[in-house]
Amino acid sequence: MALRVMVVDDALFMRNMLKDIFVNAGFEVVAEADNGEMALGLYQETRPDLVTMDIVMPKKSGIEALQEIMASDPDACVVMVSALGQDSLVLEAVEAGAKDFIVKPFKQDNVLEIVRRITG
Amino acid sequence: MDMSQYRGLFLSETREHINNLNQLVVTLEQKPGNRETIDALFREAHSIKGMAATMGFDRTAQLSHHLEDLLDGFRDSGEVPSSTVDYLLAGIDLLDGLLDDLQSNQSERSIDVFLAETPHGKPTQIAETPVDNQGECSLAAAIEEEPEASTVVVEANVFQVLVDLAEDTPAAAARGILILRELEKSGVLMSSKPDLSTLRSGAPCQQIHAWLRTSLNWMHIEEALLRISGVVKVRFIDDRRKQEGGDRDEGTHTIRVRTDLLDQFVNLTGELITNRYLLNTATTGRDWDQLTQTLSQTSRLIEDLYHHVLQARLMPLENITGRLPRIVRDLSRKTGKKVTLHLTGGEVGIDRAILEEVTAPLVHLVRNAVDHGIEKEGTVAVSALREKDLVLIEVADNGKGMDPEPLRQKAVDRGLLTSLQATALSDRDALMLVCQPGFSTAEEITEISGRGVGMDVVKAAVSKLGGTLEIISSPGQGSRFQMRLPLSIAIIKILLVSCAGQPLAMPISRVQRTLDLPTSEIRNSGQKRVFRLGEEVVKLYSLAEALGLPEVVAGETTWVVLIEIQGRRVGLQVDRFLGQREAFVKCLGFPLNLLTGLSGATVEGNGQVVFIIDPQSLIEDGQLFTNDCPGEFDALS
Repeated sequence: MALRVMVVDDALFMRNMLKDIFVNAGFEVVAEADNGEMALGLYQETRPDLVTMDIVMPKKSGIEALQEIMASDPDACVVMVSALGQDSLVLEAVEAGAKDFIVKPFKQDNVLEIVRRITG
Repeated sequence: MDMSQYRGLFLSETREHINNLNQLVVTLEQKPGNRETIDALFREAHSIKGMAATMGFDRTAQLSHHLEDLLDGFRDSGEVPSSTVDYLLAGIDLLDGLLDDLQSNQSERSIDVFLAETPHGKPTQIAETPVDNQGECSLAAAIEEEPEASTVVVEANVFQVLVDLAEDTPAAAARGILILRELEKSGVLMSSKPDLSTLRSGAPCQQIHAWLRTSLNWMHIEEALLRISGVVKVRFIDDRRKQEGGDRDEGTHTIRVRTDLLDQFVNLTGELITNRYLLNTATTGRDWDQLTQTLSQTSRLIEDLYHHVLQARLMPLENITGRLPRIVRDLSRKTGKKVTLHLTGGEVGIDRAILEEVTAPLVHLVRNAVDHGIEKEGTVAVSALREKDLVLIEVADNGKGMDPEPLRQKAVDRGLLTSLQATALSDRDALMLVCQPGFSTAEEITEISGRGVGMDVVKAAVSKLGGTLEIISSPGQGSRFQMRLPLSIAIIKILLVSCAGQPLAMPISRVQRTLDLPTSEIRNSGQKRVFRLGEEVVKLYSLAEALGLPEVVAGETTWVVLIEIQGRRVGLQVDRFLGQREAFVKCLGFPLNLLTGLSGATVEGNGQVVFIIDPQSLIEDGQLFTNDCPGEFDALS
């Protein structure tokens, strides 16, 4: 069984890039969402092994979505995706239970390293 | 049945099996069709499965069952495809990780991803394996297999862990929190700088300095930390505060001691008790002959007892060399070099405290040999042998060797030495320059040996144990790194000196020699005092000054202890020498342990406490030691 991943980002470009990285690594991308609210619904539906979550998104921010996911599933494995210079948001997300974070621009190896570390 | 009493034994035994698995897979990779190796691998996995299922550690059982199944398939086909070797090794690593979880009282990590990756796509289940009488039998059998072994409880260690982050790490405070979380997984995080609340406030963070109580091997912790993005370096310092002990339940691990050795302890203790009565009688009756005789008998018994206790603490070196084949194999892959590893002397015994401390330096030397020594193809030989009351561990490679000349140049470029000093440096001393902090021979720090400990840390670790490090190398002739270590660290030979009227001790291992110089031979060079020793000009420090004690003016003769600091000889002036003897070293408690330059204390026959000083750190930390000494040579010529 391959690792099941959900990709959350409001930019199609970022979603596609992350999807390619995961698919190439043999993971299965089971869901993608372009805002926090959609992410919440899809999370309950698909229960992925891993979520990559953009921080700044319309409707519901990545941090709010993270908080709600963690409340419903304390074992959730969420990795935040942030831009450079969003240190305080990243800090907030880590406090809220994010397992790790990726800072844009990122490299494929970097993403996989982080994912493999937290999914053990 | 309460299974928790078997926990320690389960953990230590399973680690041994994992070690064996690693070695066997590496052997198998060289000889893929070797039936005996495949059988042995199968048995190792099978043993782990039986024990883990009995203990109720489901995932460990499930994973070992999975590996066992896989290996069973190869028993039929008679060959292990080379494509499976990495998979097997990943499985063994995962087993090791599960064991880490169990050791730190965590729930077992997920193994689903690994099982999903199976070459045959056949996830296996062991849920139906009964954890009942049958299981208990298999554990009992496992224990009976080693009838000569008993279990002894040993304390967990407190480590100081220094984790360096890359300079440009984004959101470093958040990264710091993740590092603390990872450390919490490995044991009890006692404190850290910066602490959690400081990190929460978003304070800048370049390095985390944490105190961790753990029974895990530092290597596992290092590996986990290095996997965190942004972490560039991890260092471990064994902390003296482990003496304060604490949570035994969590922090204990077990070693095996032969029962005949335990019997010997009882016998010797019995004889000592008898001797005590003999001494009583002799004292009451004022029978001096009897007293003298019994006293000499007692000292023989104590020596015997010490010898046996030492025996019990001795562990064969293969406990750590066993992991080297795997490390070398992985490194060869990574570097694309063809490296053969020769191991000899694995049976040589060494004190378990020393063994633990010497693991990191040894692994580093081996990594270095593969990374910097060997060019494309070559041999790394790790050997151990007993030299009287020392153990010599050597890491030798037949690679390109080291050239002292560029090292001299680099020391001058870095301002560590003047060009005159560099020229005066012997080749042997020039090679030792690589042990200077921050002095790396490789132009670029490669991923392999640039991580973890550097040569400075290797040297420091060896010195801390009272050992010495020597490098023998020349261009084209390969390199040999020799660590000479004492058999035990609790009892050492000391040199007793008097300083400002007080007795002080220093480990003999730190002393090169003692001198009684005519005071007239000591010259002043600026602020410093120097003297000639053969061709060499040696700086002289006053021990009293370094300790902040009142100076005693030397008479016609100045008593000097010659030591080595950062590869250079220096003299330490004392009042006079009081002699040499063996001493039982006691660690200093808080707050004395915070004093620089003191490494412990021992009690004299008259009950007086004598501090043992660490002359190197006393001089270095007191910043009395400087490498630049312009004009010295002029003043003397």
